[in-house]
Amino acid sequence: MATTRWRFGLVVTLVAAMAIVSLSACAADDDSGDDGAASAEPYRIGAVLSLSGTYAGLGEPEKNTIEMEVERINEAGGVNGRSIVVLIEDDATDAETAVAVTTRLIEQDEVIALIGATGTGGTMAMRQEVDRAGIPQVSIAGGTVITADFDPLVFQTPWSNSLVVPFTFRYLEEQGISKIAVIADSGGFGADGVAVIKDQITGTSLELVAEESFNPGDTDMTAQLTKIKGSGAEAVLLWNAGREAATVAKNMATLDLGVPLIGSHGNARVEFIEGAADAAEDFVFAAGKVLIPEAYGTDSEEYEVATDFIERYTERFGKAPDTFAGHAYDALYIIVEAMKRLDEGFTAEELRDEIEKTSGFVGIGGVFTFSPTDHNGLSDDDLVMYRVSDGGWVLEE
Amino acid sequence: MGATELLQFALAGLKNGSIYALVALGFTLVYAATGVINFAQGEFYMLGGMLSVWAYAGLGLPLPLAGLVGVVSTAAIGVIFELLAIRQRKDGDPLALIIITVGGSMVLSSMARHLFGPNERPLPLFSGGGSVSVFGAVLEVQTIWIIGMTAIAVACLWYLYNRTGLGRAMRACAVNRDAARIVGIDTRLMVTVSFLLAAGLGALAGLAVTPLTQTAFDVGPTVGIKGFAAAILGGLGNPIAAVVGGLVLGMLESVSIAFISSTYKDAIALVVLLAVLFVRPQGLLGRSRREKV
Repeated sequence: MATTRWRFGLVVTLVAAMAIVSLSACAADDDSGDDGAASAEPYRIGAVLSLSGTYAGLGEPEKNTIEMEVERINEAGGVNGRSIVVLIEDDATDAETAVAVTTRLIEQDEVIALIGATGTGGTMAMRQEVDRAGIPQVSIAGGTVITADFDPLVFQTPWSNSLVVPFTFRYLEEQGISKIAVIADSGGFGADGVAVIKDQITGTSLELVAEESFNPGDTDMTAQLTKIKGSGAEAVLLWNAGREAATVAKNMATLDLGVPLIGSHGNARVEFIEGAADAAEDFVFAAGKVLIPEAYGTDSEEYEVATDFIERYTERFGKAPDTFAGHAYDALYIIVEAMKRLDEGFTAEELRDEIEKTSGFVGIGGVFTFSPTDHNGLSDDDLVMYRVSDGGWVLEE
Repeated sequence: MGATELLQFALAGLKNGSIYALVALGFTLVYAATGVINFAQGEFYMLGGMLSVWAYAGLGLPLPLAGLVGVVSTAAIGVIFELLAIRQRKDGDPLALIIITVGGSMVLSSMARHLFGPNERPLPLFSGGGSVSVFGAVLEVQTIWIIGMTAIAVACLWYLYNRTGLGRAMRACAVNRDAARIVGIDTRLMVTVSFLLAAGLGALAGLAVTPLTQTAFDVGPTVGIKGFAAAILGGLGNPIAAVVGGLVLGMLESVSIAFISSTYKDAIALVVLLAVLFVRPQGLLGRSRREKV
């Protein structure tokens, strides 16, 4: 009798233990990895991503990447024996919401650093809260203004337009093109690109002969392209990161402009090729080397880091990561690597200083070296020109 | 600026205008039956494209069948929306109904975001690529499809309104709900029918335009605003006016780009819209509210 009761008790205890373990595993999943090396209170990092609204297509791979990499970091022992937690908040592609969730992350969750926002508007709106709290922010948005309008607390991982525009200009000059037209969206990315294009074109052999814009959500750009057709431009520069880019490519093919269409890193998405179909052929754009990791050189550390990330991401999410996933990867690791270099009990200020000392960090977007005046940290060497061919990307000669 | 270029600007205006016109027809239908602006109309446009893409790429149906699935299921969603949200508001207070449609549009686009993901999705052209040359200017074959579908929709609606009992009943509803009920018209059914037709028409527009622009969960509001402006410009409640409004709006934008600046095209179109409404509050072709049925 006594033995039976004892056995029954054991079974109940085991079942209860299993239930608790699986429950806590679920809870850990929600917090994007609260397990692993948790001996002390984990380090808390906040991430403001656009999981709904216009930039939802960018926020999703960013979230996937952060969740996957946080698990990996914690499995490998976390930061100096302490695990890390990244608290992800959705800003709904809205600047006001970005401010609200940033305040919550700072005040309630007491995060030590921030990743985000996905968009330039959100990133800039967060600045007041970041400045007030004095914690470092690593943005994953591409606007030039983020680091051009310098703030010692703010860093940026994507290639900014101020890097991509001169790189694209050099390509155009090499092609023997002199007259260019630009067509861009009137939103953040396009307007930022046009401002940089107009600023940087002086001092090159290029001449801007037409400048046209369209609004996000527009259904047809034939009229703008007709105007460009009459301007004598030898190449059309497209600056847009949205679905309108495919419409521009298709309209241009219909009008048979007969000049090359050159895009930007904003078009490094398979959705662009799917949308524009045949009209995407021979489309040329500059972007980081992650699209074709061989561009790094197969014996380089960059190649290994990128292919390892691409393999793990593809296995877990069933599709290859895009450039936005790479920006989130870089932001997370820049913060984590800086934390690892510091002693236990560091302050947010010390973390900021350490992030600024990042030198030669091999990420997905390239090799980052920050300085007190450069918080973007990338260079021309991290960019390469691509050409769309047979529905995929190839390196442009 | 040569004649060919001018013609090309005109054709660009015609293309955008025919898209606006097809969307505007849906606004007009619901307005004619209920006297309210249905701000979820843009979402019917989005669903038409999205569900067709889902049927085509997800279920692997041939394009005509996938388009049919997209339009019919969107029409069904329109009816469900009316039964669950609009009909529950028993007094038919226009302001309350308009706000319900705004809420409904948010629900529909969020659901599409979660079901179909955040990325844009393509659909092939109805009859392959290619374009026709019109005195040196070019017009895509898909645009001819859009214009043709608009023409057929207008003809059917004109017939419905003027030659059938159902259409007359719907118009009677718009003029005076109570009076219509007194003479034995099932006004609630008329509202449901109008949502069915409006959702189907919106879906048809989404289906026809998606091969040109791709579609995504968030295309509704932008296109909805343009269609709404076109319907107001032409005069609410009249299908031919909606088409005229759409074409005028498309042409206005095109002319703005050609002679002023693409930066201000929407602003210029809006200023003209306001100016027209200032002179003719009922729209270009709208009649005053007194109407004989």
